[in-house]
Amino acid sequence: MRKALPILLGLLVLLILGLFLGLKVGSLDTSYATVFEALFAYDAQNGTHYSILHLRLPRLLLAFLTGASLAFSGYLMQALVNNALADPYLLGTASGASLGASFSFVLLTDLTFMGLYLPPFFALVGSFAVTLVVVLLGSRRGQLVPSQMLLVGVALSSLLTALVSLIMFLSDSESQLKSVVFWSMGGFEKADWSNLGYPATALAAGLVLFFFLQRHLSVLLLGADRAETLGVDVRLIRWLMLGAISVVTGFAVAFSGPVGFVGLMVPHITRALLGTTNRFNLIACALAGGLFLVVCDLISRWIYPPAGMPVGIVTSFFGVPFFVYLLRRKNYRFS
Amino acid sequence: MKQTKFLPFWLPLRLFVGLWCFLLFSACDSKKAVAPATAAFHTVTDDLGRKVKLPVQPRRVMALAPSMTEMLFAVADTATIVGRTQNCDFPKAVLTKPVVNNYPMDYEKLISLKPEVVFATEGIISMEVAAQVEKLGIPIYFQAYDSVADILRGLRNLGFLLHRPEKGNAVADSLQDRLNQLAADSAAGTRPRVLAITWKDPIYVFGRNTLLTDKLRFAGGQNAVTEVFAQPYPALTREYILKMNPEVIIGGSFEQMEKTFFSLYPELRRIKAYRQKRIFAVTDDLMSRPSPRVVEGIAELKAVLR
Repeated sequence: MRKALPILLGLLVLLILGLFLGLKVGSLDTSYATVFEALFAYDAQNGTHYSILHLRLPRLLLAFLTGASLAFSGYLMQALVNNALADPYLLGTASGASLGASFSFVLLTDLTFMGLYLPPFFALVGSFAVTLVVVLLGSRRGQLVPSQMLLVGVALSSLLTALVSLIMFLSDSESQLKSVVFWSMGGFEKADWSNLGYPATALAAGLVLFFFLQRHLSVLLLGADRAETLGVDVRLIRWLMLGAISVVTGFAVAFSGPVGFVGLMVPHITRALLGTTNRFNLIACALAGGLFLVVCDLISRWIYPPAGMPVGIVTSFFGVPFFVYLLRRKNYRFS
Repeated sequence: MKQTKFLPFWLPLRLFVGLWCFLLFSACDSKKAVAPATAAFHTVTDDLGRKVKLPVQPRRVMALAPSMTEMLFAVADTATIVGRTQNCDFPKAVLTKPVVNNYPMDYEKLISLKPEVVFATEGIISMEVAAQVEKLGIPIYFQAYDSVADILRGLRNLGFLLHRPEKGNAVADSLQDRLNQLAADSAAGTRPRVLAITWKDPIYVFGRNTLLTDKLRFAGGQNAVTEVFAQPYPALTREYILKMNPEVIIGGSFEQMEKTFFSLYPELRRIKAYRQKRIFAVTDDLMSRPSPRVVEGIAELKAVLR
């Protein structure tokens, strides 16, 4: 706690600063005073107030939720398969979602149904379906075999990527091709209050559940056998982790597209800062992941106004050097 | 290298075949073409500043872009047009010509049609493809257009290159007349700010440095995008569009756009164009192709803006 508190507080302060800055930056000139007014004395007729509350805030929150979800899932995944290279997409979530979204772009003549935009729905179905297959193939007699799941996940992801390529190759119009490519780059521009609820609920439930199970996670890093002898129900906790990863990642990817690197890097950063067994690790990890994407989205819009460049490019550009620095610090160890 | 004292056995054979072919082809030629000075070439500079050596009077030509095919059909002797790309569909007569895929470029088919020169537009054919075409011994000539006037200039230029200057000038002159009429009609009154959408998710639009800006000027409107971006078709955010508050939106009928655009971005229902229901569909090809039909496109825009 003594180590975690300043770091958690620091992350929180940075996050609030990031959100506040994010609310100020946009096409319409905005002062800090206007941001305050929009938040606390909202005037529906004022275009700037409207933009702040209905465009900038949902966008920032979606960026935050996506980053937090991916970092959270990445942390769990690394603990689940006990491998430093694991990221939340190992279950085939990203490639499954890509396949689902690509299907919708190529097969559907009408992408909206009763006012509902269908690609995120297809992406969600795709990611869950693929996760299910990976889990079925990666388990034996109801027992999850992480190493096997890892391999199945990697193999299936390659297959799905090939399928997406095949769909792109067979698509008979340039516009379908464009849709698939744009989707795969990810982004937060379609953020809307109405679609923030799902990823937020999934993430909150996951965070609460695993806050109480954090000690089990730490023990699991010692290896399944030792965890078992220390009284952890390894089988149950693995299934819980798997469920949380697939739902939380699935919602994040469905609404924002597959943003890379956050889920791999942020968990390591958290461990480098807090150590491997701190009970606030998951919360810090989610906060850091969210903060990271909020900042990356700001940078992307600052470099390439107004729409910003795909956020995945920015995450790698600014994240990798920092990541390498952390990994090379002599006291960092994965487990 | 080993020297041979004797002539190889196949040399007489080759000489014989060669001679035979020569006689055969020259016989065909003498029946078909009576054009004088067939071997005359000149070197010209295209719109990209490239030096291109081509026949003074090319007898086999084709275009590697739909807009350029339309340009050729307006100026060239249509019998000299030897092919089209898979996207060329105007005028209807073009559909009888053999197809050369331009993406990916079907070089073998292109060679088989033996064009003496091919025409291309900037942006559709890459420099890499152009270099490859040149390597095959086929000169490739580029045109580029920043304004409507550039297209008319392009037609006159084609007239010169195809050895039909009167035809090129006549087409350009008649288009200029219609253009002057359209512009005179739309000189008076306020010019509504028009946002033309090319892609809905993410939102891409016709930027300032596209032909549309000039076309709207003739049609009595103005491009709502006033900022010049690096990309001709920039991606915009909802907030940017709210700030522009365009008075007219082009990209689909009101009903279509309501279903496929405003349902995705309900926040944009606040803009003037939506509130006044000034949301229209125009013909895609007229919007996107810099061709002689540009004037038709302007007339369509004008009808919509009225």
